[in-house]
Amino acid sequence: MTAVASSIPPEWYLLLATAVFCIGLFGVLTRRDALYFLMSVELMMNAANINFVAFALYYGDLTGQVFALFVIALAAAEVAIGIGIILVLYRNFGVTDVTVPTEMRW
Amino acid sequence: MIDVFSYVPAIVLLPFFSFLIALGVGKHLPKGGAFGGIAATAGSFLLSLWVLATVAGGEAANRTLYTWADAGGIGPTDIELSFGILVDPLSALMLVIVTLVALLVHVFSLGYMNDEGETGLPRYYAGLGLFTASMLGFVVADNLLMAFMFFELVGLCSYLLIGFHFREPGPPSAAKKAFLVTRFGDYFFLVGVVAVLATFGTAQFAGAESFPALAEAALAGEGSVAWTPGGVELQTWLTVVGLLVLGGVVGKSAQFPLHTWLPDAMEGPTPVSALIHAATMVAAGVYLVARMYGFYALTPTTLAVIAFIGGFTALFAATMGLVKDELKQVLAYSTISQYGYMMLALGAGGYVAAVFHLTTHAFFKALLFLGAGAVIIAMHHNEDMWDMGGLKSKMPVTYYTFLAGSLALAGIFPFAGFWSKDEILYEALVHGLNDPLLLGGYLMGLLAVPVTAFYTFRMVFLTFHGEPRTDTARDPEPVRWNVKGPLTVLGVLAAVTGFINMVPVQKVLGLEGIDLLHLWLDNHWGGIEGLSSHHYADIGPYSSGYLVGGEVGTVLVGAAVSLGLALAGLLVAWRLYNVPSPTEHTAKLGGIKDVLYNNYYLDELQVWLAYRTEDVAGGANTFDQGIIDGVVNGVSSVSLFGGSRIRRLQSGVVSQYATLLTLGLVALLLALGVTGGWFL
Repeated sequence: MTAVASSIPPEWYLLLATAVFCIGLFGVLTRRDALYFLMSVELMMNAANINFVAFALYYGDLTGQVFALFVIALAAAEVAIGIGIILVLYRNFGVTDVTVPTEMRW
Repeated sequence: MIDVFSYVPAIVLLPFFSFLIALGVGKHLPKGGAFGGIAATAGSFLLSLWVLATVAGGEAANRTLYTWADAGGIGPTDIELSFGILVDPLSALMLVIVTLVALLVHVFSLGYMNDEGETGLPRYYAGLGLFTASMLGFVVADNLLMAFMFFELVGLCSYLLIGFHFREPGPPSAAKKAFLVTRFGDYFFLVGVVAVLATFGTAQFAGAESFPALAEAALAGEGSVAWTPGGVELQTWLTVVGLLVLGGVVGKSAQFPLHTWLPDAMEGPTPVSALIHAATMVAAGVYLVARMYGFYALTPTTLAVIAFIGGFTALFAATMGLVKDELKQVLAYSTISQYGYMMLALGAGGYVAAVFHLTTHAFFKALLFLGAGAVIIAMHHNEDMWDMGGLKSKMPVTYYTFLAGSLALAGIFPFAGFWSKDEILYEALVHGLNDPLLLGGYLMGLLAVPVTAFYTFRMVFLTFHGEPRTDTARDPEPVRWNVKGPLTVLGVLAAVTGFINMVPVQKVLGLEGIDLLHLWLDNHWGGIEGLSSHHYADIGPYSSGYLVGGEVGTVLVGAAVSLGLALAGLLVAWRLYNVPSPTEHTAKLGGIKDVLYNNYYLDELQVWLAYRTEDVAGGANTFDQGIIDGVVNGVSSVSLFGGSRIRRLQSGVVSQYATLLTLGLVALLLALGVTGGWFL
């Protein structure tokens, strides 16, 4: 463990992760374009990754890092599916605005 | 040695096969399947005779053939539901009676149905076969539940046969009435069966573990029953159970107040009436009481009720028979009345007397109905006695056999009915001298004697004597061998059956061994332990009292009084109706005639009661639709309305869903935080 990393207390990592997560959440809640959605979701996942890696460092346990790798892989897969959904959305509605297609409702 | 009892199921199954054959391929058989029925009942009859002979040889059977439900120790008692056979002197005797009458009815039907060009004959013979099979199954049943099942089958068959001419308006209505009225009694019977099973854990009729034996032991303090409703004394509870089962008996045996179906049942073909009245349906009720007499003998209250209902019905039905114009109607009321006598006998502790009357009545009533059937053939299906007259010389075989049956019915010495009716009245008298309620039953039974004789001979004189009153009566249609044959057999039986049980002669002359039926039912030649008339007399509540002159004097006085009254009734009928052109004398009765002719307005009363029931049902319906359904509908309206509002949350906009999710999570976290004390 490097001296720099260990000298930073874990609260900072948590604050950073929270900030990134909230930015992502804000994006999901306010953006109308599906591509921004994907990006925001990506941010939220990376916030989680920061936590994983930070605590792995803090406890000296590699499990968190392995989990982070898994999450990255999963995020790649999710993007692939997400892009696919967006393509279909565009094909059917001609837009990538998520507020326009409201067919799946009461 | 062949085990005859293993053939007992065949007695039941043969008519059942004839039912299947007639139903399945009857259309393609000659005579609409009649010969199958005749062969089956003849086979059953021969087997029954064999069984009778075997029982006379000292053997009996009480076997469980098939257990179809076994509680296996679940619950307080180990209840097994099974089919089985119980062959003892009583059921062996009944088997012979039922199969013989069924056989003769089948033969007679050749003349009454086939020769008259009826249609739907396969249906008719199928009905007869199933009817006979059901009754035989009921007779050999070894437990109450099996008896109940066949009891119900008998009811079903009566429905099918009474409603045989279903295209006319009357028969279907009469069939429905018969079915519903007897069903009303059967509800009580069913509850009684369940009560017996719950109380004793068994419904067997015979053996050490049978319910009469268990009840007897429990009452004697030597055992206990599995269950009684909390706080009810055993004696009271047994009386209730006895009365519940009696409900079915009152319905089937057409006792007051459930007798109203029987006169209407005359809408059925006449041979069916003979079968219903003589050997099957109506006999089933009385037979059931006799079958479980070991149980009834334990409850004096039930016996008193049976005796009183019986005595009352005997008189009540006889008075209605006085004014009827139709041949079969008179016979219908006489049936009700005669079964009243049997119930009187059973209630009075005269077990043998009741079985005796059941036997003789089976023969002479079958005879009278078949005789009436012959007259109806001759009269081209006109049943009004005022259109007949003078048939005596035109159809002598019918006349003389009918006369024998009438003499038996009226209780004239030495015909069968005299002996059995006299014994019933004797039993009711000697036991009634110590019991006022029973004495009331006796007096009513005695009063019914001249009434019976009067209406019987009014019928005979109007039908056969005097001058013919219509053209049909002047030139009646002749009947063939298939009508005369059964009539002759039954005519002989009606004349001589009484000799199997000449108790008065034995008592007066001191001869031993001529009361064959007494010895038979007392297991003299063997039987099943605990099912003997001796045993029933031991556990029964009655003691005998005698008039002046002791036993012999009482016998003589009793016989003389009943015979005298019967002859008096006959003589009055002779004076009034044995004239060349008789006239209606009923007008002299004034208002009473209308009351009698309308059956004491009991039908109207029952209809009125039915409408009142309908009112109650209407109220219940309103309650059901308004309150019960209202609650249910209200719940569904609230759900529907709520759903229609709440579903608007689902807008289809993904961002809003995400917002809701987030807000929900935040709210959850806040709630957890507040309750968990994170913020302190």
